[in-house]
Amino acid sequence: MIILKEIQKNPLDYVILAIILIFAFIAFLFFNQNFDSHNQRRVVYVTAALYLLWSLLHHYHRGDLQASIIIEYLLLAIFAVIIALTTLV
Amino acid sequence: MAKFISLLFIPQEKNNHRALLLHPSFLGIFIALYLLNQSLIQSLTILKPGILGYSSEITVDKVISQTNDQRQKLGLAPLKYNAVLSQSAVAKAQDMFANNYWAHNSPQGKTPWDFFKSVGYQYSVAGENLAKDFYDTEGLIKAWMNSPTHRDNILNPKYQEIGIGVVNGILNGVKTTLVVQHFALPLNAPAIAKKSDSVSTSEEIVINPEPEIIVSTQSLGETVVNLAASGKAISPLLISKIIGTIIFSLIVVVLVIDSYITLKDQTPRFTGSSASHIGFLLIILMLLIFGRQGTIF
Repeated sequence: MIILKEIQKNPLDYVILAIILIFAFIAFLFFNQNFDSHNQRRVVYVTAALYLLWSLLHHYHRGDLQASIIIEYLLLAIFAVIIALTTLV
Repeated sequence: MAKFISLLFIPQEKNNHRALLLHPSFLGIFIALYLLNQSLIQSLTILKPGILGYSSEITVDKVISQTNDQRQKLGLAPLKYNAVLSQSAVAKAQDMFANNYWAHNSPQGKTPWDFFKSVGYQYSVAGENLAKDFYDTEGLIKAWMNSPTHRDNILNPKYQEIGIGVVNGILNGVKTTLVVQHFALPLNAPAIAKKSDSVSTSEEIVINPEPEIIVSTQSLGETVVNLAASGKAISPLLISKIIGTIIFSLIVVVLVIDSYITLKDQTPRFTGSSASHIGFLLIILMLLIFGRQGTIF
């Protein structure tokens, strides 16, 4: 419930994020069913890139776009890409 | 000690109202630890190849037996292992490693049939399936059976013989296991005992348009080389997945605690959005848990 309050502050941003994550989920399921590990990996790359882009726009809208915040998103995106590279061979 | 643990998990004034585990420095430490684990795994597979099975648990026997299981489900005659056909499968895998490609036809224009001919195998009907990066035979056969073109090869009533190549090597700079499945009806073979009665005796070539071969070759002529053949080897991928899942789950739990406390207390702070982090990390966790390795061609 408390997380929902945070979402309610910038609903449009979170709708965009939800679309990105739903797209990632569907694409992942599709390639997963087809035993295509290369494209499963690409789904992670694209999702991580879109997530970073979304973070820039979201924090720009909120007026708190700072280096430390972007580093936080960047590290999570890098970690996701490393995980994909090492577990989806 | 308890104070430090509290700083790690609970946002408070001393950690700038953000759980320490979510600070960029700690995220960096998580990445460093994960990479360290990866390099240890890589080193261990090189120094002690019997402990971690980086290649796969795929063996020629298993591929043949599971291929025949699929055929027998439909009442088709089982395929007979042919050592010469296996030589052509191994040669194909070795050629892919040597010339760094992943396709039915080599960049030099070699077709799958050139490999059959090079080992002196005479056929009237032949086919090829390729796969790479699978860890076990069950997953490999399931992937082929899910693909109509590969399934057609496995269930083709015209084939009588099979040869398998399971070869480990480095493809495009990545350590890989390639599996090549070569099917054939030998030239001048007697009529096949099978369910289907539409047997073509004319010379015919059946090519899988997108095969993917996993060939494990340490010596030419030896069809399957399994690095983890002795004993039960631990999958390094499984280790990576478990460690990744633990770290990501921990971050998600801390994010939930952190956002609950700060939103409840209405603490003003400049940090990333916890809700978006949780959504993103849950997608990655799904990948970690349900991601399937391997590709067929």
